[in-house]
Amino acid sequence: MALLAPPAPPETGPGRGRPPASRWARTGSALRQPIVLLGAATAVVLGVLVLPPLAGLVATTLRPEGITAWRDVLASRLSENLFYEPLINSLVIGGATSLGATALGGFMAWLVVMTDAPGKRWLGLLAMIPFALPSFALALAWETVFRNDRIGGRVGVLADLGLMPPDWLSWGALPISATLIAHYYSLSFVLVTAALASVNADLMEAGEMAGATRARVARSIALPVVLPAIIASGLLAFAEGVSNFASPALLGLPVRFQTVSTRLFGAISTGETARGYVLALLLIAVAAVVLFSSTRLLGARRSYATITGKGGRRRQIELGAWRLPLTGLGVLVVLVTTIVPASVLLASSFSRRTNSFTGGFTTHFWVGASDPAFAQGQRGVLRNPLVVDAAITTITLGLAVAVTATVLGLAVGYVITRLRGPRPVVGAISILSYLPFLIPGIALGAAFIAQFGRPIGPIPALYGTFAILVIAGAAYTLPFAAQSGRSAVAQISADLEESAAMAGAGLFRRMTRIVVPLSARGLLAGAVLVFVKMVRDLSLVVLLVTPATPLLSVVTYRYASEGFAQFANAITVIIAVISVAATVAAQRLQGTAQPWVDR
Amino acid sequence: MTAPAIELVGLEKRYGDTAAVAGIDLGVPPGAFLVLLGPSGCGKTTTLRMLAGLESPTAGEIWFGDRVVASSGRGVAVAPGKRNAGLVFQSYALWPHMTVQANIEWPLKIAKWSAADRRTRLKEVMDLLSISPLVKRYPGEISGGQQQRVAIARMIAPRPGVLLFDEPLSNLDAKLRVETRAELLRVHRATSATSVYVTHDQVEAMTMATHIALMRDGRVEQFGAPDDLIERPETAFVATFMGTPPANVLAARVVGGRYLRGQIDLGPAGTPDGSDVQLMYRAESLHFTETDGPRRVVLEYAESTPLAGRYVVSGWTDGTRFSVVTADLPTALLGQRLRVLVPDRADRVFDADGQLIDPAPAPSAGHPRR
Repeated sequence: MALLAPPAPPETGPGRGRPPASRWARTGSALRQPIVLLGAATAVVLGVLVLPPLAGLVATTLRPEGITAWRDVLASRLSENLFYEPLINSLVIGGATSLGATALGGFMAWLVVMTDAPGKRWLGLLAMIPFALPSFALALAWETVFRNDRIGGRVGVLADLGLMPPDWLSWGALPISATLIAHYYSLSFVLVTAALASVNADLMEAGEMAGATRARVARSIALPVVLPAIIASGLLAFAEGVSNFASPALLGLPVRFQTVSTRLFGAISTGETARGYVLALLLIAVAAVVLFSSTRLLGARRSYATITGKGGRRRQIELGAWRLPLTGLGVLVVLVTTIVPASVLLASSFSRRTNSFTGGFTTHFWVGASDPAFAQGQRGVLRNPLVVDAAITTITLGLAVAVTATVLGLAVGYVITRLRGPRPVVGAISILSYLPFLIPGIALGAAFIAQFGRPIGPIPALYGTFAILVIAGAAYTLPFAAQSGRSAVAQISADLEESAAMAGAGLFRRMTRIVVPLSARGLLAGAVLVFVKMVRDLSLVVLLVTPATPLLSVVTYRYASEGFAQFANAITVIIAVISVAATVAAQRLQGTAQPWVDR
Repeated sequence: MTAPAIELVGLEKRYGDTAAVAGIDLGVPPGAFLVLLGPSGCGKTTTLRMLAGLESPTAGEIWFGDRVVASSGRGVAVAPGKRNAGLVFQSYALWPHMTVQANIEWPLKIAKWSAADRRTRLKEVMDLLSISPLVKRYPGEISGGQQQRVAIARMIAPRPGVLLFDEPLSNLDAKLRVETRAELLRVHRATSATSVYVTHDQVEAMTMATHIALMRDGRVEQFGAPDDLIERPETAFVATFMGTPPANVLAARVVGGRYLRGQIDLGPAGTPDGSDVQLMYRAESLHFTETDGPRRVVLEYAESTPLAGRYVVSGWTDGTRFSVVTADLPTALLGQRLRVLVPDRADRVFDADGQLIDPAPAPSAGHPRR
């Protein structure tokens, strides 16, 4: 009878019965307890990475000379010139870069993931390459072609052929924005591709069944799902465009077209450190406004869990009559942003006369032995032990930073996605992980020297060591790693982890067996981005590098500033080869890492 | 009497000011099949998740046998994997990057089973659920019904003492649902575990449960054996939720010692004048009539459904849904008015809040207490 009779009120055995009222309300799922620890640990690590450099910036500008600097920058006769005009230029460039890169990257992602465009694998591969090229490479390539005679000296290929480009094409906002778009669109491409790949065909077919046109389905269904990725990539491109240094330095500075970052560089390199830090803080403030409005947008859309335990399908859109025109457009994009600049760089590294394709070619700058007739007797780059040494250090640094930042980024993404409270921890982690990209690389580098250049407690002075490069690199690339960690984790349904928890898997085990494998694609893409960003970065490391730790980009910069354009271009090509190889290898790896994903 | 295998004591779950689960007390003996039944948002899934350990109660305790697995007062919160319980998710939550075999074996690996034991057990559960041919497939490569079986196999492989099911059949088609229902019962018996099953489908509950807790707004409306809920509903909500078709409940008011619904006299009242009541009539207690007189309710015809050789005729009377069981297929048209004769004593009388006042007639011969 025990089975069927409704049990009487539970017997009150020893210890049983209505328990005493809880002293503190236990909220939250069981997944949370270890997560709170992970969240706290992550917050601490981020705090150590990000806050001291920032505190250094602020502290410097609060000293007497800092106060003067604030006045100079914001409210003096110099202000217009020192800050307001460069600010407008920066914003114009940032806005143009953001819009252009997102539109171009979004289009390419759509073409490659969603349609039946022929040769889309190749298009996808080529669309990822510009990001691997250093941004100064595209600026150098632009200059090689379009430089006119406005400031004298050597001219570009077009002028060399007798076609003098107008000023607006040679200098200022247009070429800077164009080179930055060509550079950063591939970042948007990578982010949007990952998001689009997760759009379930059912969702779109349901829209078509409701009678919506394809355009409407794309706009109303696919777009909202990938919107977080689009906003994130637009945000990244904006921040990069505003704070980029190399492009405006090469294509703006010679004609006194200033941005906040060139002003900042000018101030720091001429010893006006306080003024430079003030500009850095203002740049941070400007970008922060954009950041907060965007996180608000993203925050509300946080929970599109699209990987579930049920199988999903993907379907291709048949382009029909549009197949060839759209594919042609895609080909044009990769031609203009990848193949042409790369060819220009490569060709000019072989040209006997700087920026001239009519003066004959030579392999000297690559493999030549020391010859007094060339480049003041310097050897070709492949024979130069300094370059080989720099290449090894560069790759090691890239790998170390990629691993560090990706682990951190995964922790950040996991905590932000899974820990729905306590709000302050999540908010702090979210803000801390974004902060670094508001700090221009060069200012971050300077701040790291200021902070870690002398011993702090048990930590010895790190200046001149490999470690400071890794730490600074991890801080610098954290926003990218965090973003990819966040979108990767957000796409894994909580069910999958909960079922692992039911099986008794702890946090570490769930991470290694569920979260990491399922987000491997996104994490790997993020790791490659970080690696590439480090390998080709100049602004962060230019102040941190010493002869003990030579890096390719710094060597390039030195050659370029000393007028050895061919050497500089040759090393730029080497950097590009390393980065492109990493990108291609990552594509291959992704295939083998996720055999359950049908392609 | 054996100690309860699962016991909830004053269980509560609050999110800020709202209570998803607002105090539940119940217990079931070992081997029971407890169904948490109720409309969506009633707190049944939250309760299940607290049993699983995926949520912690904000007040109250959960006991599995003589072991407390969650208690806010004592600060106990046994981790989900340490409760000797398994859960089948509504989405199945099969790990998409693991083959069927890996999905089933991994929990055993976590539980530190030897490789030989794992293989033996894998074969056992795969045979039990007839999924052996799928062993090397990924979840994305098998059908929904197969995914369901894999999810069940994965749950029972570590031999949990408590089986938890979160609307596991809601993604299956009707035929598969009926088959899987039988399958689940078979698994339940084969494992001799205690099961807790969440559903909003009272037919599922009736066919599978030894115990049903019908929930509403975070509370248990009624707890008992399936036929208790059908035969002896304690609230108007239970009466209208359970049964095929569910019982009819008509609002009425006591005037001059009679139940009056508007102008219609529904028989002698057992409650004081002026009180508002809700009268329950089973569909099988009602008859169509052509004649005039008291106790006739007008039914606006909506539809009829064949059921075991008879017909359930449904319609509306002053905005209340009303069902009558008849032997003949009615020829009425949509919207046509039919007269229904109600018995002079309601099967159950509830007050205005839906609480039982008068159990009314002793169980008739047709409804013996089992």
